Amino acid sequence: MDQTDSYPVKLYIYDMSRGMARQLSPLMLGRQLDGVWHTAIVVHGKEFFFVGEGVNNCPPSGTPLGEPDSIVDLGSTEVPADLFMEYLISLAESTYSGDKYNLFEHNCNTFSNEVAQFLTGKKIPSYITDLPSEVLSTPFGQALRPLLDSIVINPGGNNITGKR
Amino acid sequence: MIRKLTPDPSCSIGGIKMADQGAADPGNNNNNKPEASEGTIIKVTVKTPKDKEEIAIAEDASVTQFKEEISRRFKAKQDQLVLIFAGKILKDGDSLSQHGIKDGLTVHLVIKTAHKAGDGGSTSASSSTPTQAGNTSTSSPGTNSSSTAGSTGTAASPTQTPNILTGFGDLSGLAGLGMGSANFMELQQQMQRQLMSNPEMLSQIMENPLVQNMMSNPDLMRQMIMANPQMQQLMERNPEISHMLNNPELMRQTMELARNPAMMQEMMRNQDRALSNLESIPGGYNALRRMYTDIQEPMFSAAREQFGNNPFSALGGNSESGAQPSRTENREPLPNPWGPPNSSNPSESGGAPTGSTSTTGGTNPSVSNPLGINPGSLGNGMFNSPGMQSLMQQISENPQLMQNMLSAPYMRSMMQSLSQNPELASQVLMNNPLFAGNPQLQDQFRSQLPIFLQQMQNPEALSVMTNPRAMQALMQIQQGLQTLQTEAPGLMPGWGHANREPSLLTKQCRNKRCPATADATDAPDVCWRRRRNCRRNWRRNCRRNCRRNWRRNWRNWRNWRRSWRRKCNGTQKHDQILHLSHLSKKEQKVQ
Repeated sequence: MDQTDSYPVKLYIYDMSRGMARQLSPLMLGRQLDGVWHTAIVVHGKEFFFVGEGVNNCPPSGTPLGEPDSIVDLGSTEVPADLFMEYLISLAESTYSGDKYNLFEHNCNTFSNEVAQFLTGKKIPSYITDLPSEVLSTPFGQALRPLLDSIVINPGGNNITGKR
Repeated sequence: MIRKLTPDPSCSIGGIKMADQGAADPGNNNNNKPEASEGTIIKVTVKTPKDKEEIAIAEDASVTQFKEEISRRFKAKQDQLVLIFAGKILKDGDSLSQHGIKDGLTVHLVIKTAHKAGDGGSTSASSSTPTQAGNTSTSSPGTNSSSTAGSTGTAASPTQTPNILTGFGDLSGLAGLGMGSANFMELQQQMQRQLMSNPEMLSQIMENPLVQNMMSNPDLMRQMIMANPQMQQLMERNPEISHMLNNPELMRQTMELARNPAMMQEMMRNQDRALSNLESIPGGYNALRRMYTDIQEPMFSAAREQFGNNPFSALGGNSESGAQPSRTENREPLPNPWGPPNSSNPSESGGAPTGSTSTTGGTNPSVSNPLGINPGSLGNGMFNSPGMQSLMQQISENPQLMQNMLSAPYMRSMMQSLSQNPELASQVLMNNPLFAGNPQLQDQFRSQLPIFLQQMQNPEALSVMTNPRAMQALMQIQQGLQTLQTEAPGLMPGWGHANREPSLLTKQCRNKRCPATADATDAPDVCWRRRRNCRRNWRRNCRRNCRRNWRRNWRNWRNWRRSWRRKCNGTQKHDQILHLSHLSKKEQKVQ
């Protein structure tokens, strides 16, 4: 109504397996997975994502993953940049600090989902958030679980931590 | 409690209920009363980054009331609360229903802490910049450089020009960062100090491929080290050092060491152990002490004198001047925008005034033309790539920086050593990623190297470089020449064509007769004119003659013959048809 601007919010979806999942998953897992999805939220000209180090940000498409496979437009938000940073910092202090990263349960997609809901009220597409459960429902996934649990993804970027 | 008696036209019960709630019932204030009528009190989940709570509030309440409830629950002041729903910030004047907040939905809350409110964002941003800022000068690999470019962009520097230097340390960004003063030496010292304090930065520098390349070349290293006058002094005093330097094996080992922190630590440990053993030998302690005072101390102090804190002293006594290359080499391979296809220009536009450029032949510096500018080549040459332009801009915008760079003592010694040793320069050139993919360019530069280096020694040239107005004037001249060339190419016929050497940075059309002029910066290798002419005639000739196209030729012939036969189709009027084939069918029939 007054001076609130609206900032577009986009979801960048990357396939971390670079197509391999689509080809190999029926073979290995027994079900078709189109990709191993990593997501990031792009707003206020920066890309934000959650990785093993914590919440990171970088210029859009600035991670080693390069350009996203697909971009979903989540709408727009009125939340200004400083408020958003505050929010992220409190997140980074609490539920999204680096040590809380878990590849299955508390990963980048969880973070993107939460931030998307905060910013726009919408959730990210469900095929992304359902991925871990899909994998775990296969016997292969179950077998690899202990290994995968210890994997922590770290594609770089600037870290946002509450503790400075 | 009066405030809760909001006039509620929609639900009369609400009024009564409000009164009820308002009445003395402190214990139950926040609970959802089971007797509340369904529409009125809704349970809204309020979620903060840290936790979430369910809050019962009237459906028709205003945001202010909601915030009161929340402030009670979360023990925060109302001013600190920021409520967000569906991406919108809830303002005090609105009501919940206005935003569509219904039962069971989630509203997000951010509690602003007073000092964090404005600064929280910026302190985190700015605190990340200094630690990252040091990396800008060393172009740490991967995303770091892009992220630092991003953060420097937001933090300070307005120059977003496509910048060759970004790979090597955005100098304008550095100046803008306010990391140090414009004084180059100070800046350098600051960087080194940071380096000392931040060991990761050191390892990042080490990882920098440029640095690694350099370090892997022992000759280069030796040259660099020897060029340092203090080092030379040291060597005179202690011949062992020169022995060490001259022993390639040792140099290589040292470099490996510098590169590999783990190995370094190992070495240090061994060294310590050896030293402690030595100590225990009678008379050993004295020997050690002597060794220290004779060798290490002067080495350290010499290095420290020049560079402020010596980052490599952390690594060990040997390779301290390794810091020097990593510092200065980063400035080095900056192409000469004006011509002498030059690389190892330690200062940005080092060769700028030395217009005696590309292969059109250098005009040697004469009295009236101290910089040896060949006017004909000014319109050409590497001027025209956008990167060069931005370089030029940067230079003219930052005269102070340039001056400081040039005045740095080791810069001078570096230039001297480079001029004496063209191979050195060419090596550095190789490392420059700008030219990495382009061997022709490299060759070009290499051939121009000696000329350029000579000119660098010319103090006049140097003084021109540091004079911003002179630089600007030169730029203007260049621009004027360019326009002249496009506007009146006939004016200086010699200029236009003579200069059309394959100037690789400007990428003109290879076709010699192509009228595309020198400023076709985005010209493809072969422009459309050439391509069209080439293809048109080539195909025609080829089709006729080429054996590979024989089949196609035959097919064309056969098809034509078929259509001819169809046209004739039993009539005997071959000739007629042939002659009248310029008319349409109907007209032909009429005939």
